[in-house]
Amino acid sequence: MAIIQTIDLTKRFKDLVAVDKLSLSIDEGEIFGLLGPNGAGKTTTVLMLSTVIKPTKGTAIVGDYDIRKNPDDVRKLIGICFQEPKLMWVSTPWDVLNWHAKVCGLSTRERKRRVKQVLEHVNMWDHRRKRIHGLSGGMKKRVEVAKILIQRPKIAFIDEPTSQIDVVGKHKIWNMIRELRDEGSTIILATNELFEADVLSDRVGIMHKGKMLVCDTPKTLKDSILGGDIVEVQLEKEVTKNVLDELKGFKEVVEVVVVKSDDLRIHLNKVEKVVPQIMNLFLNERLPISSIRMSEPSLDDVFVHYTGLTIEEAEQKSKSR
Amino acid sequence: MKKTRKLLLVIERDLRRFIQFKFLIILRTIWFAAQVAFFGLIASRMVVPELADIYFEFYVAGVVIMMLYSASVFIGYDIFEEAEHGVFEYLLSLPVSRKELVLGRSIGGGIRSFILVGPIIAITLFIIGLANPLNLLVALSALFLFAFGVSGMSITIAVTLKSGDRFDIFMGALSAFIIRLSTTMYPQAFVQDANQAYAAFSQFNPVTYASDLFRWGTGIERYLTMSPMPLAPIIGIVIFFFIFTFVGVTFYEKRLEGGGWQ
Ligand SMILES: Nc1ncnc2c1ncn2[C@@H]1O[C@H](COP(=O)(O)OP(=O)(O)OP(=O)(O)O)[C@@H](O)[C@H]1O
Ligand SMILES: [Mg+2]
Repeated sequence: MAIIQTIDLTKRFKDLVAVDKLSLSIDEGEIFGLLGPNGAGKTTTVLMLSTVIKPTKGTAIVGDYDIRKNPDDVRKLIGICFQEPKLMWVSTPWDVLNWHAKVCGLSTRERKRRVKQVLEHVNMWDHRRKRIHGLSGGMKKRVEVAKILIQRPKIAFIDEPTSQIDVVGKHKIWNMIRELRDEGSTIILATNELFEADVLSDRVGIMHKGKMLVCDTPKTLKDSILGGDIVEVQLEKEVTKNVLDELKGFKEVVEVVVVKSDDLRIHLNKVEKVVPQIMNLFLNERLPISSIRMSEPSLDDVFVHYTGLTIEEAEQKSKSR
Repeated sequence: MKKTRKLLLVIERDLRRFIQFKFLIILRTIWFAAQVAFFGLIASRMVVPELADIYFEFYVAGVVIMMLYSASVFIGYDIFEEAEHGVFEYLLSLPVSRKELVLGRSIGGGIRSFILVGPIIAITLFIIGLANPLNLLVALSALFLFAFGVSGMSITIAVTLKSGDRFDIFMGALSAFIIRLSTTMYPQAFVQDANQAYAAFSQFNPVTYASDLFRWGTGIERYLTMSPMPLAPIIGIVIFFFIFTFVGVTFYEKRLEGGGWQ
């Protein structure tokens, strides 16, 4: 069942259409990865859904409430972890989180327990009495993420949770996001990190210039790219024309590149299904295989395919901002 | 969660923040001491000798109101600092209604200025002496409303201008008028003598109401004008409070939700 449903959701900033008649449906209990290059409109979408800013046109139903008509009710259901940590600079992590937990209605006992538990989990317990402005970028981000983990809202908007966070920290936070989902929260994860979206999301949507380009499970999306899978085969003998023809005969095979006469790169779909058949073919033709390597397309390929930007270009754009 | 509890939490947050501005508190206290000990004592020598002590008391009471005003305005600067760090958006995302948020902050801002001015009021009473405790109680309640009103006004202006520089200039200009053209430093009779337009402005000025009420509460006013029950200033302050807390809230809501802070 959809817990969030947008209807022609649009946001204009003067001449710029940041979000353009977006139609998006998010199911209860899923982690939905919102992907897109810089400036795609991810954050703007999240801010509208969380009632921080008002749409120019259109609306959305969040929980059972319209974000325009009942923003106060929407805010009781949601929590948001901002892309840029929003902290009071004169206070300490403990003050920020404790106050946040109070406003979100946690009982005193629950509050103390959770604030401590989450601070320990994100490795900030020892820094809890430090001034915020004395913390590193990644530490601030940890405090920002901690807010939502303490709050455990029914609907959690998480905007770039692991930017600036080290590798160990990333894995911890990913686990905590999964736990949050397993406890019943619906999670909207806006991110630039395709790997993160891939490992966490039940479904992903790729936004570009304020519009949703595609929206599906990571697996379906990866499969949807023709010839997205790659199999590299190294043979002990030269390949025959007959084998090449037969290979091209598979309907899943898109292209066979003969790198050398004993070295093939096969671009195909549904690799897990076709590889056994290919191996049989080589065996039947008495062509011994010396090595075989498979690679699946990543969300990177999906992203490139749909946005028309290479990852390098997307990265360049993000640096120039 | 109960509405009042949320309101209290919003207030609590502003109070906690304030206590962290130790520097400001010290600075303001020094300012007060200097105004009283230097300016007050010296300027009161310019008055006919029989009235020198009375003018000194009159002036001290006025300085208290000036402090209360400027401390209550401070919350507007807080809002800019928060906007800069994005905390504003954070507050807008919380399960707190816009009304609770603004009302809480106006009250928080008002209480903050009382924390600052409270000890100074105590010192003032020590200097001036206390004539009638009941009057003082009425006056202090009115001053609370005044402080909430000024905080509400500061917040309203801050979210309307949405620019720290413009706010700075505007508040500077506003306080130049609202303090100078009031009875903080001189009795209304003298303002009247100087200029009719000044007098008109001063007569309908919340700062005048606050100053008059405080002097009435401390019993100084009896030397200057005879007003058994200063109804006009009380009504004036109540109206001022309502305008900036309730009308201000609605205005603020409309203003913000259009496009967040930007
Ligand atoms: N307050 C604002 N005023 C004017 N333009 C804005 C504002 N907020 C966002 N924009 C513009 O709207 C577009 C979408 O921005 P948004 O922050 O939603 O992108 P994003 O997908 O979150 O990007 P990123 O990956 O960099 O976080 C951008 O072109 C941005 O410049
Ligand atoms: Mg963003």
